[in-house]
Amino acid sequence: MENKVKIGVMSFAHMHAYSYASALNKLDFVDFVGIADEDGSRARKFAKEFNTKAFKSYEEMLASDIDAVVVCSENMNHRKHVVLAAQSEKHVLCEKPIAGNLHDAEAIIEVAKRSHIQLMTAFPCRYHPAFVSLKKSVKAGDLGDVLAIKGTNQGRCPGGWFTDLSLSGGGAIIDHTVHLMDLIRDMTGAEPTKVYAEIDNRMLSKDFDDTGILTVDFSNGMFVTIDSSWSRPNSYPTWGNVNMDVTGTIGTASMKMFQQKIDYYSDENKGFFYLYWGDDMDYEMVKSFATSIHKGKDVEVTGEDGLAALKVAMAAYESAKTGKVIDLAEY
Amino acid sequence: MLKVALVGAGGMGRVHAKAYSQMEEAELVAVCDIDPEAAKKCADEYKIPAYTDFGEMIGNVDVDVVDICTPTYAHLECVKAAAEAGKHVACEKPLARTVSQAKEAVQVCEDAGVKLFVAHVLRWFPEYRSIKEHVAAGAIGDAVEVRTTRSGSHPNSPDSWYCDYSKSGGVVLDLIVHDFDWLRWCFGNVKRVYARGLYESKIPITDYALVTLRFENGVIAHVEGGWARPSGFITSAEVAGTKGLLNYSNADSVPLVIDKKAVEEDRPSITIPENPANESPYYKELRHFINCLESGETPEVTPEDGIEAVRIAEAALKSISSGQSVVLG
Repeated sequence: MENKVKIGVMSFAHMHAYSYASALNKLDFVDFVGIADEDGSRARKFAKEFNTKAFKSYEEMLASDIDAVVVCSENMNHRKHVVLAAQSEKHVLCEKPIAGNLHDAEAIIEVAKRSHIQLMTAFPCRYHPAFVSLKKSVKAGDLGDVLAIKGTNQGRCPGGWFTDLSLSGGGAIIDHTVHLMDLIRDMTGAEPTKVYAEIDNRMLSKDFDDTGILTVDFSNGMFVTIDSSWSRPNSYPTWGNVNMDVTGTIGTASMKMFQQKIDYYSDENKGFFYLYWGDDMDYEMVKSFATSIHKGKDVEVTGEDGLAALKVAMAAYESAKTGKVIDLAEY
Repeated sequence: MLKVALVGAGGMGRVHAKAYSQMEEAELVAVCDIDPEAAKKCADEYKIPAYTDFGEMIGNVDVDVVDICTPTYAHLECVKAAAEAGKHVACEKPLARTVSQAKEAVQVCEDAGVKLFVAHVLRWFPEYRSIKEHVAAGAIGDAVEVRTTRSGSHPNSPDSWYCDYSKSGGVVLDLIVHDFDWLRWCFGNVKRVYARGLYESKIPITDYALVTLRFENGVIAHVEGGWARPSGFITSAEVAGTKGLLNYSNADSVPLVIDKKAVEEDRPSITIPENPANESPYYKELRHFINCLESGETPEVTPEDGIEAVRIAEAALKSISSGQSVVLG
């Protein structure tokens, strides 16, 4: 096919790079041109697996005629990598959270604007059909006015750089709050106004947060709680969940995003597992990004969306530290 | 055998009446309700006298224990009347509408030298007791985060006392006080409460609250309470610890479902989920109190527990109202 959109991946530090790379290979209008990574052996390993090129450096990849990159580095390295891409005028799909702190997030948005590139925050849950249907139903008024939402994004502790604060910027709260916060903003069109959180590290007793419950007030009067804990034990049958219970004036809805599963009991693997068989939201998200670049349209999820979600996570840390309710207008 | 008089023949009163009727250690001897029809209906079922006046009942019938199942706002008045008549008291949860009323109820029983038992029945639901026992045995290491849900449709019509939240306290005091007591039983005293809810929203036949509790031992708990569902009733409890996870939901714990086809005109198609047990939790809790009265042992729910559950609920309502967290103690 002519006029394929050429996309590369910057860093495989975040494991999501794996499914994004798979998606790039599946899209017939995309040319997955290669992988660059500070860890050269990692670049070569995945380049081989995805049948693409391993660039020697980010600079080498960005100097080529590619259109866009997917940034999957550690949270605290996002800024550095997005700036590099923007300077070469490559569009960016940036892994969530958009950055490890608000200062970096603002800088990322600024440089993207200045360089006139498309910047998309990777919020794949927006593309899960269970959420798409829920959003449609809420928008159609099936539940009446939304009064409250109870969300959980509980998972196992991912380990690795996620628990190194100098690379992640935070533990479970920064990792998990942003998904649900983005979904709720997208679904209701309302903006968060106040944040309170109880956060702790008693699950693993290390120097990063592993447990937390946020309560967030919204501009439309609804209240929301989000459980962003790494509270699933290693023996849990899957990595975690993204669930939402929505209470409206005339109805309620319950979404369990990854409930399309087969229960698998294995003597060989000594355990019980969920085998997910639902649609691939990562593929849909990458397709949306690549389509926007291909057609010269604006991306569907912006850097500002990434910042808005991150702001709630950071306010939660502030609330837990001070014991106060954080007013986002003043934060 | 101890003689029990029932005050309040509404839904929960009838559940308690049935429990006593099945008990060898106790005998239901009279029923009192300000609504003469309700009193008569219950009295006829158990072939006991019906009263509409508490004083008249106590004057006429030999009674050891008064079981109070009136609406919450009337608990204190009934507890006082029973204690002053020298009768032991079983009181439906919550002990009272406010902490100060709850304290007064405890004081009058103490002064009168009668025992007071608050019917926090959740402690006798086997699934909740089992979770507590497993946590206490160290099955999941140290408990870190707990989540509970208690969510159904609204209990009654707009003119019911449940809908007057100044009387019932809404879901926070009437419904999730169950979970507050159970959580305290499992994890000790609460340090801090933050809550959001529809308590003051004036949305008809709807209440809903999400409450975060921080316990003195560090546990963080999230409690959901709802009278906002179009149908059904959901309960769940999850305890995440350093070495494991316990998770229960009533929807996943139904051992028997009976489906009936609409084969005749007057027989609608219906699905009946059942959770059969040899003894109901209500029977177990009331028998426990009766046994304690006979043996002189202290009941598992102390009068202090009754006050503390109301204290958590009151703090949650205060947090909803003020928008700020509320520190206890």
